[in-house]
Amino acid sequence: MKTIQLTVNGKEMTLTVEADQRLLDVLRNNLKLTGTKEGCGEGECGACTVIMDGAIVNSCLVMAFQADGKSIQTIEALDSEDGSLHPIQQAFLEEGAVQCGFCTPGMVLSAKALLDKNPTPSKADIQEGISGNLCRCTGYHKIVEAVEKAADTMKEGGESHGTARRGTK
Amino acid sequence: MVQKVYQVHEIQQALELLHQHTHQAKLLAGGTDLIIKMREGHVNPAVLIDISSMDKTRIIEVQGQEIHIGSTATFSEIQEHPLFQKDLGAIAAAARSVGSPQIRNRATIGGNICNASPAADLLPPLLAMEAMTVLRSKETSRLLPLSDFLVGKEKTALKSEEMLERVWFRKLEDRSGLGFSKLGIRNALAIARLSMAVYLKLDATGRCLEARVASGALGLTAQRENEVEAFLQQQVIDETIIDQAAQVLEKTTAQRLAGRSTLPFKRQAVQGVFRDALSQALKTSLRREQS
Amino acid sequence: MALRVVGQNEIRVDGKAKVTGKALYPEDIYMDNMVFGKTLRSNRPHAHFTLNLEQASQMPGVLRIFTASDVPHNAHGVLFKDHEVICRDKVRRVGDPMAFVVAETEKEATAARDAIQVSYEDLPAVFDPEEALKPGAPLVHEQGNLVYRFKLRRGDVAAGFQESHAIVEQEYRTPMVDHAFLQPESGLAYMEEDERVVVCAATQYPHFDQLEIAEALALPTEQVKVVNPAVGGAFGGREDVTMQIHLALAAQHLKRPVKTTYSREESFYAHSKRHAMVMRLKTGADREGNLLATQVTIYSDTGAYASWAINVLRKAGVHATGPYVIPHVHVDGYSAYTNNPYAGAMRGFGATQIPIAHEMQMDALAELLGISPLEIRLKNAFVPGSVTATGQTLSESVPLVECLEAVAEKLGLKQSLREVSP
Repeated sequence: MKTIQLTVNGKEMTLTVEADQRLLDVLRNNLKLTGTKEGCGEGECGACTVIMDGAIVNSCLVMAFQADGKSIQTIEALDSEDGSLHPIQQAFLEEGAVQCGFCTPGMVLSAKALLDKNPTPSKADIQEGISGNLCRCTGYHKIVEAVEKAADTMKEGGESHGTARRGTK
Repeated sequence: MVQKVYQVHEIQQALELLHQHTHQAKLLAGGTDLIIKMREGHVNPAVLIDISSMDKTRIIEVQGQEIHIGSTATFSEIQEHPLFQKDLGAIAAAARSVGSPQIRNRATIGGNICNASPAADLLPPLLAMEAMTVLRSKETSRLLPLSDFLVGKEKTALKSEEMLERVWFRKLEDRSGLGFSKLGIRNALAIARLSMAVYLKLDATGRCLEARVASGALGLTAQRENEVEAFLQQQVIDETIIDQAAQVLEKTTAQRLAGRSTLPFKRQAVQGVFRDALSQALKTSLRREQS
Repeated sequence: MALRVVGQNEIRVDGKAKVTGKALYPEDIYMDNMVFGKTLRSNRPHAHFTLNLEQASQMPGVLRIFTASDVPHNAHGVLFKDHEVICRDKVRRVGDPMAFVVAETEKEATAARDAIQVSYEDLPAVFDPEEALKPGAPLVHEQGNLVYRFKLRRGDVAAGFQESHAIVEQEYRTPMVDHAFLQPESGLAYMEEDERVVVCAATQYPHFDQLEIAEALALPTEQVKVVNPAVGGAFGGREDVTMQIHLALAAQHLKRPVKTTYSREESFYAHSKRHAMVMRLKTGADREGNLLATQVTIYSDTGAYASWAINVLRKAGVHATGPYVIPHVHVDGYSAYTNNPYAGAMRGFGATQIPIAHEMQMDALAELLGISPLEIRLKNAFVPGSVTATGQTLSESVPLVECLEAVAEKLGLKQSLREVSP
């Protein structure tokens, strides 16, 4: 047992965690933030992706006690309380980038970390940015298109969610 | 089962804990290998010492003629560092070839070296640069060439009270260059089937003064390839010499992997990977001559 | 006619829940008083076994260890009821369930599962479908290893080969494949006040699961309710029951919600695979490249259980000519039990393995005859009005030629196309 302090989705909290708990277990079981998924438990699939201190990590490969002092963002932080979606989420919806949905939270967070750092990514940048996230429904093309669309929307003034259309598609 | 966990911020704390718990303790950095091994039950430390938040060993910097990389520097930090964007781009390429963005944000150079996987991606370029390891314990500090540090498959010369503090290697001189090439089964998250790094130093006439060739996944540990190195010595590196050098390497491979199922694949693949790494090294050497 | 949906850009109904992470997959559901189950699985491909539960049942937190004798009607399966819900005394593959352990926490259930002592008495095993059909092969099931025999005859292949100028004879093997849907199996079951058992699991066939659960537990179907929450991909891999009956059984006895979630590794052990196939093809064509005859033998490995063995082999057999007109056809197919992981539905359902064979035959014939791979396909392709080997007249859309032409144009093969087009 160890007591840790961390920030999750903007809220500071003190938690008591087991020595063998992973960050993923704490998010899902202790905090019931079940938008973070476990697909493989060994860093291959990216379904458990969260943003830790600004960088994406596999929460199955971070022990809970290692998150002491860190700031964590999960998918639950993205949409607003009034129900409006983040432009990336909106673009995933509109472009049909969602199928079974199990990869979606991780995919969206990888896209967010990418766009936060690089607001004008090339197709190759996007492919690289989501290369740690597997989609077994094989919807990669639409996912890449959604990230492109989200980048455009966010460039054109962020909050006007999902109205921009790419002329060439 | 893990009984006690510590998160340390200073190297002295880590060394003190290692001194107390010795072989019962395991250092945990990026965790991208260790956490999997623990969950599979292959490693069962009683004490875990998390060093991933230890910022002072996270340096990447020039000290005189040397480049130092602290053991908790992540692959992402190495990949993006300005020092490795041009002539030493092979170091960034090796870092970039590892895992995925998520893995690279956590995995450290120290973990890559100390796990000593035969397929560890940073080892060939570091071996080709004749990197030195700086090993610390509570009371001692020692310097060991990386090639001596790696003693076998997942085996190193690290003692149970020691930790790897950093590695360093000399900057590229004029008319020298480094190349890296890797063959994996897919672009992301591929463990190297084969990787190779080549360092070259040419004289003013373009003759090879020194060649250092290091391979990954071509034996029990990443290693220097002495036969092909000797062959390249004093040669003017043209197509014919490259062909012949590739054949030397193929012969080495055939001898080393005799009887292994991977041999038919690797004896072919090694030549392509070697040519790729060598031509990059050659290009950099020639560029550094002109400038 | 105004179309409300076709041609419109529609947002999928569950899309918003999925992009916000609010969609509930079974493992995301937590109930009060919930307990956890873990499955003990065999690590032998073919063996008799006995269990010693003494130590495990006394472990902390253990509520009950369910075994075969707890299951009223210990059988399930999509075509034949050849799966045991929990194996009684024999396992037929690595991964067969031998006990279902329920404890207060997942950790306790895992510890107790690992404390069960298993004594195996290994039996000779068979891993190749062709070997499995030879006399004296180890019997995976008592009634014999042949699950299905497929026969297709059209014309006279001997005559067809007689007339052929070029004949290609080759063997092709395709491996078993896992679906690797991204969400490993998970589910939970609980009792409703009216004594109905509710199973909430990621599945492809809730109604079929209801039947299987009811039959195995000897309940009327109205006593079983199956809820299908969000499903993280399936691709055929969730057509066979895995944990559903285990959960229902445990909830029924313990009167508490019971949950189980497989790890990725257990998921690989638990569900079906794509059938591995051995395919031998002899295909003949005349000097111009017109196909005359094909003789095909297929061995399909269904592993330890039949699942959809019949339908999958039939589909492979029916498609053995490829999309080509062949006057003389002779297909023999055999689906056999082995001690491999069991095979079932997976994307294509038998129509993915055989194209590897018939298309490589086309390339080999083209090479032998010195014509282009495109030409030999265009010459023989199904068009509207073609009759297939099974006697079906293709009367509706058959756009294969258009498709090949479009590809050829993209690849810049227009020249060779013009030479063969009528």
